[in-house]
Amino acid sequence: MRLDPVEYAILSQSLIAAAREMGAKLIRSAYSTILREARDGSAALLDARGQTVAQAELIPMQLGTIGRIFGPCAAMFPPQTLKPGEVLFINDPYSGGQHLQDVFIFHPIHVDGEVIGFAASVAHHLDLGGGSPGLNPAAMDVYSEGLIIPPMKIELERDWHGGGFERLLRANVRVPHQTMGDFDAQMAANAIGVLRVQELAKRYGVDKVRATMAALQDYSETRMRAAIAAVPDGVYVGEDAVDDDGISDTPLPVRATVTVKGESISVDFTGTSPQVRTNLNAPFASTVSATVSAIKAALTSPDIPFNDGAMRPIDVEAPHGSLLNPRHPAPVRARMEACSRAWNAVMKALAKAVPERVIAPGFDTTTSFCLSHLRQHGWSVYLEVYGGGFGATAESDGCDGVDNPLSNCSNTPVEAMDQDFSFFRVTDYALRPDSAGGGAHRGGAGFVRRFEILEDGTKLALYSDRFRRAPEGLFGGGPGATGWCEVQRDGQRIDMRSKDQMELRRGDIVTLALGGGAGYGDPARRDAAAAARDFEDGLVTTAAGAA
Amino acid sequence: MRVGIEVGGTFTDLVALDGSRAIVTKVPSTPRSPDVGAFNALVAGGIPPAAVTDLVHGSTVATNAILERRGAKIAFVTTRGFRDILFLQRHDRRSIYDLRYAKPAPPVRRRDCFEVTERLDAQGNVVLPLDEGGIVRDLIPALAAGGYAAVAICLLSSYASPAHEMRLAELIGAALPDVRIAPSYAIAPEFREFERASTTVLSAYVQPVIDGYLDRFGDKLAGAGFAGRFSVMQSNGGRLPAVAMRRNAITALFSGPAAGVVGAIRQAGRSGRGDLITFDMGGTSTDVSLVQGGEAALAPETEVDGLPIRTPVLDIVSVGAGGGSLVWIDEGGMLRVGPRSAGADPGPACYGRGGTLPTVTDAHVVRGTIRPESFLGGTMSLDADAAHRAFQEVAAKLGTDVRGAAAAAIRLAVANIVRAIQLVSTERGRDPRDYALVPFGGAGPLLAAEIADELGISEILVPPNPGVISALGLLSADYVKVYGVTRRMMLDGAAPDALRTSEAALRSAAEAEFRDLGLDGGLEYALEADMRFVGQAFEIPVAIEEAALQGLTAADLAERFTAAHRRVYLHGGEPGRKAEIVSLRYSVRRRLDTLPEVRERDGADRTGTAPIRAADGRTLEAKLVPAATFSGAIAGPALIEGYSSTAWVPEGWSARRDEAGNLILRRTA
Repeated sequence: MRLDPVEYAILSQSLIAAAREMGAKLIRSAYSTILREARDGSAALLDARGQTVAQAELIPMQLGTIGRIFGPCAAMFPPQTLKPGEVLFINDPYSGGQHLQDVFIFHPIHVDGEVIGFAASVAHHLDLGGGSPGLNPAAMDVYSEGLIIPPMKIELERDWHGGGFERLLRANVRVPHQTMGDFDAQMAANAIGVLRVQELAKRYGVDKVRATMAALQDYSETRMRAAIAAVPDGVYVGEDAVDDDGISDTPLPVRATVTVKGESISVDFTGTSPQVRTNLNAPFASTVSATVSAIKAALTSPDIPFNDGAMRPIDVEAPHGSLLNPRHPAPVRARMEACSRAWNAVMKALAKAVPERVIAPGFDTTTSFCLSHLRQHGWSVYLEVYGGGFGATAESDGCDGVDNPLSNCSNTPVEAMDQDFSFFRVTDYALRPDSAGGGAHRGGAGFVRRFEILEDGTKLALYSDRFRRAPEGLFGGGPGATGWCEVQRDGQRIDMRSKDQMELRRGDIVTLALGGGAGYGDPARRDAAAAARDFEDGLVTTAAGAA
Repeated sequence: MRVGIEVGGTFTDLVALDGSRAIVTKVPSTPRSPDVGAFNALVAGGIPPAAVTDLVHGSTVATNAILERRGAKIAFVTTRGFRDILFLQRHDRRSIYDLRYAKPAPPVRRRDCFEVTERLDAQGNVVLPLDEGGIVRDLIPALAAGGYAAVAICLLSSYASPAHEMRLAELIGAALPDVRIAPSYAIAPEFREFERASTTVLSAYVQPVIDGYLDRFGDKLAGAGFAGRFSVMQSNGGRLPAVAMRRNAITALFSGPAAGVVGAIRQAGRSGRGDLITFDMGGTSTDVSLVQGGEAALAPETEVDGLPIRTPVLDIVSVGAGGGSLVWIDEGGMLRVGPRSAGADPGPACYGRGGTLPTVTDAHVVRGTIRPESFLGGTMSLDADAAHRAFQEVAAKLGTDVRGAAAAAIRLAVANIVRAIQLVSTERGRDPRDYALVPFGGAGPLLAAEIADELGISEILVPPNPGVISALGLLSADYVKVYGVTRRMMLDGAAPDALRTSEAALRSAAEAEFRDLGLDGGLEYALEADMRFVGQAFEIPVAIEEAALQGLTAADLAERFTAAHRRVYLHGGEPGRKAEIVSLRYSVRRRLDTLPEVRERDGADRTGTAPIRAADGRTLEAKLVPAATFSGAIAGPALIEGYSSTAWVPEGWSARRDEAGNLILRRTA
């Protein structure tokens, strides 16, 4: 079917708008801080084959691969056999998922008795059971990280709101009020997506909607190919490393070999560390997401819709059994650290090909920080995700105090925490002076959060990275500061590892310091006015740093 | 005589009413000192200031002071440990793949941010007392040394208790009597510290600018003999005496779009229409809002230059689609309209000021719905050939001719506005077919019928002088103040009484404030509760009419909330889920005794027909009708040409001028 260019433009923008509305409603009707404040969720419209057509741009990490996890579902429940009122559920990292906390729900879109696509959403759930609340740093396999949901077909009328599947989920999560509410938010987002596509089909005809779904993917592919073609052909290598696996002190290297040839790009992670016993492993879908996000961010303008078409010119490989493609049942909860180093390795490789387009390594770490307390009426769980300073670019200083480039979580207002949690209190939330790497452009500053613990028996769990290995500058830029976490107890300082847990007492003070980003270019070439400004503002306190 | 003056970025509009005589005029704005342009408008209209009894003023002064960072030198004071909240913001990015991302820059530098030792909990109880010694010893000397014009204060949890902020303000005020002090409890007493701090800082930043501007304009008026009432328009759609702006200027931002909506509501009300979708299409953007029963919805928050402002404003969605929006083909071969615009300079290609890129206005010229000889009443000439030339490249890329390309651009511009309308209607569970479409702004009435066709809307109401409706809105705006407060309470049996208690307190505070402004008696009140299920972070507004408040039960509240939740999210929560009230918005309004009546001013006077190049390749002969003298009814295709705007009545639509002076377009096919 041939689309006229205007109808195509209108329909494609309408599909993107529908996906955006899904994303907004997912967040706005959510219950847990991780979804409603941190906005750790995404939404998309898929075609009938499960390929992503349009997405709500929320979290880059989740956007790459909503379609990838659909495959195993479709294999078990062929789309055309689905009836209205039936939806698909999955979170299994070894069936194309990322980690158990990210649960995917797919609603089929029926038009005239036929399935023409899917409305899909994914949300990071605060707690899905497993060995400890929120996150379980001690997990040695995926079973101890939470409830595994293989591809499931759910009949909403029968299985949800009081039905068997919902009751099974509810019985296995520690904060059912929030988790089950977040599932409802996903249901609402998907129902909106279904409705909007059905409205478009009614207004313009189902054939035109189908044709637009295909054309929009082709469009993103065309633009991605044009962007890749502008990169000089060649083989470029970049490397970075995760600090350690949380047990030993050995760094875990991540190595990317990027081959640019004409309009295609391939990335091979051979040379990357073997998988580890702890939860630092990244399922392959996560690796693909991180890689594609790095390439898209560096090479293309931000307005290209991210869908399956944009991924077609990109090929990703990682050895099976490596940190970036582990074997079942390795634990994967903290996948973001290895993924972030994959992002850094790809950026460093691209820096050799297109130095003006890349970003220097930032703190680029997801610090997942969880305080929990078992109270009379059940668990109270606070989990927040922190970024740090961005790296600098050829044209700009790195952004201060912002989430990891692969993620985009907001903070929880301190006043919201004061309302919701009585077992701790935030006493400091501040930028870290001198944490940014110097350079012609400086990195972004990191920040500090300090917590006063108000009740005995509070549990602290965290995973982070770059506590030992600082982000390295590009083209003469200086390194960003590393992160750290300490507990002050009775005048003594207890240092936490980057992947750690501890039982806290009333009166303990926990300080979490997030690192800064690295600089870009020779610090001697820094604009004098910019340097003076940082000095006056106290972001740089040494005259040397300001010079 | 009553006068409304709206200072916009390009033009300053004036509407004056002297008995039944209306004066409508447009003069160029003078961005360096906007009061000059405002005064020029009076002169151009031949209006002696001494004859003006009521002057209502709206301007972009406050907004521009922020956009251009020309506000006052200010300091920011907060709770120890939180000096950086203005820079940390919400830790997220608006553009997720942008490697050069920079956060919106607050209007205060980090070196000008200070801390005081104190802490309250979420109930407003003291955790750590205010360290007055430290304030006197360290803070006040630092503030004195900084030479600040204003100090913004935002302490944690001050929305729950203003005690510490009040005391701090008192101490600073006693030591530094010439420094203005803006405490957050008085400006935005709602929870979420960054949003409250941002609002407070922006208010402190623009306050001296607004004061200076109102002083200069007021002096100039007084010098010319003006002795009438002087009011300023606000973003909530109401006016307040200028003196009230001296206390809190934050509501003066974005008054222009709000004035347009008010003008549209008033004018549609004269024809008995209260359920409206208004759209104001100007040169660079289109503002859309939904009006229910003659009331525009309020949004709890807006933003300027990316910075949040927590104050109730008319709920207006803006999209980058105006007459000057550029038509282009992107790298992937897709036709696009906007968001980039040709602006006022060089403007559309047809303006003949050197613009070569095609715009929506050029598309109208090619199609024939804008006629060079009638533009702005024939006072500005247009270059039709330039419009044609501008479309040649786009046409070639699309594989069509210039006419086809222009038709495509218009359809896409229509689609952009349709999506904006869907944001305020379908996305909020409202069916646009239940509303009349009210287009205004210079470019609105040209596209209204096509937009209505896309949305299934069958009635359009075009107010007279649609290009200056904002100035009319000023004249017809009531006195309004909206109080937003955090009052968190569970929706249980105690909630109705707690609501009644809160309402009574808000009412007596509002009455005192209005009395203080010389606005006694005749006050109307409206209460809206922001509600959510316990655990959610975003609230849904639920209106509680004054009449319903006395007998209100918890079950009524729950039912109202669940219905609102279902409308937006397609579900009303699982059975038994608890809900809560988070904040209240309380509007106080004193209505004007009489509403102004205006007629279309003289403009083009051409009759006959003009060729319209339709999208399907046909050339139609449209009847030409001068808007000022049009009465009776006419069937499309027709162009009703006025001084500030042209209404396009396509085939399948008819138009008539009703008794209230509005053009009513109806679909006939």
